Amino acid sequence: MNPVNLSTQFAGITLRNPLITCSGTYGFGEEYTSYCPLEALGGITLKGITPLPRLGNPVPRLAETPAGLLNAVGLENPGLDEFIQSYLPKIRKLPTAAIANISGFSLEDYVQLARALQKDSGLAALEVNISCPNVKHGGMHFGTDPQSAQEVIAAVKAETDLPVIAKLSPNVTDIVGMARAVQLGGADAISLINTLLGMHIDIYQQRPVLANTFGGLSGPAIRPVAVRMVWQVFQAVDLPIIGMGGITTWQDAVEFMLAGATAISIGTGNFVNPQAPLEILQGIKEYCEERGLASVRDLVGLAHHDR
Amino acid sequence: MLTKGQVVVHESLGDEKHKLKRLVLKGPIARTAQAGQFVAIQVQDSSISSFDPLLRRPISLAGISSENDEITLLYRVQGRGTEILARAKEGEALSIMGPLGHGFSLPEAGELWLVAGGIGIFPLYPLALSALSKGLTVRLFWGGENQSFLESAGLSSWEKLGIPLYLSTLDGSLGQKGLVTEQINDQLRQMSLSSSQIWAAACGPKKMMQAVTEICKNVKVPIEVSLEERMGCAVGACLGCVCTLIDETGAKVHKKVCQDGPVFRGEEVVWDESC
Repeated sequence: MNPVNLSTQFAGITLRNPLITCSGTYGFGEEYTSYCPLEALGGITLKGITPLPRLGNPVPRLAETPAGLLNAVGLENPGLDEFIQSYLPKIRKLPTAAIANISGFSLEDYVQLARALQKDSGLAALEVNISCPNVKHGGMHFGTDPQSAQEVIAAVKAETDLPVIAKLSPNVTDIVGMARAVQLGGADAISLINTLLGMHIDIYQQRPVLANTFGGLSGPAIRPVAVRMVWQVFQAVDLPIIGMGGITTWQDAVEFMLAGATAISIGTGNFVNPQAPLEILQGIKEYCEERGLASVRDLVGLAHHDR
Repeated sequence: MLTKGQVVVHESLGDEKHKLKRLVLKGPIARTAQAGQFVAIQVQDSSISSFDPLLRRPISLAGISSENDEITLLYRVQGRGTEILARAKEGEALSIMGPLGHGFSLPEAGELWLVAGGIGIFPLYPLALSALSKGLTVRLFWGGENQSFLESAGLSSWEKLGIPLYLSTLDGSLGQKGLVTEQINDQLRQMSLSSSQIWAAACGPKKMMQAVTEICKNVKVPIEVSLEERMGCAVGACLGCVCTLIDETGAKVHKKVCQDGPVFRGEEVVWDESC
């Protein structure tokens, strides 16, 4: 039997396998190397950056919930200049594809970030986090308004020669509408999903656990929502999808691929088991072998029997 | 390092009303571990896969035996995670990440003053052993709720070390009634020792460590403190457990308790910031 071909190409990005790690859960690539060799990963998505450094939110920033984790880190990051000077030289040498993640509070923020990050930076792609409030428009989130989302993606696309991945927020009524909007904006791929907005109250202290009151929910608790959204977007939009949201085991990863994800990303799952990416990759491989699939790409969207 | 630690001993520590547990695990972690470091231990029932609770629990090393390849974790059962951990049986293998973080540093000579509040005593025991084996003089200042608590939390093993112990209890049932800081001030007043010969290491409630740091600052005694914060990844990737420090330039910076700490120089810590 021939070995399963694990490599995957989409949106001008070539990965040795479809396994990526999620932004905000894997630092800038050096934190997990003693647990999981980067050579084993298809790619990593770097901690989100903003034009200026940010200290982020006060602690507590984390709250554990049933099979889930609420976080309100508040985009703590070193800022664009420090990222380029101190982090990028090391990132270029990482033995895996590195996807930068950019966040902004105005259209100009995104433009500035996109302009500074081009193919010659050594990055594989730009993932655009549109789940932030647009301070110039009364705090309306870019990621919940199709028009704003389209504008942001179009602006980023106009500034960079890197493939542009739009990371969509699940906190919307119509995820397909958002996916269509970023497609119109020129996105090359879609990451699905960002965290779901939630909160947790300490009933003894009688106040919210998180200093920020609200936080983004991740982990296995949100997986069914993510799978549903991958399914819907796969049916409606002709763009490759990076599926994420609670992937912790190889079975979860296969489920996302069957729903339509071309690649899959591990986030909170790394905290549970820092070797999860290795185990998941092995599991996907064996799943394909047992079913006589020549390539991992053959799994994508396989559960849509009417496609 | 991600390893399996086999449960060698898992028992109640002292009077059960204090809900303290002693967990001894066999595995390679002890070979490289230092006092003040911690492990992130999976608290799921290992016989059936479950993701609730989801996260590992950070627990400091209370015993490091490289000869036997054993580490000891002492913890208090106080939530769902530790309740599930408390069920782990002898022979069971638990998933452990570690040793993690940076531990306490040891002076080359002089006196090491250990200051503990409540269960903050646990990570200080291996530090005392290292200091004594290096020929340092060690004193312990330890405050707790009452006599029963101090006895349950390992007082007898400290007595065996033959070092001066300055105990405080809130109800006065053992040692001096009141706070551990009062004992430190008393000793500083009585001692002829120059403060330049003293180092301090503290672990306990934040308010206690803040007060002890203040005392140490006034007499120019360097102090290290072990901070605690809710952790996600435990390796510095998620930025969940930051604390605020003052750097050399006087600027406020964030450090990760899991990776840069949990042990920091007390005078660098910004205590009143919630972040």
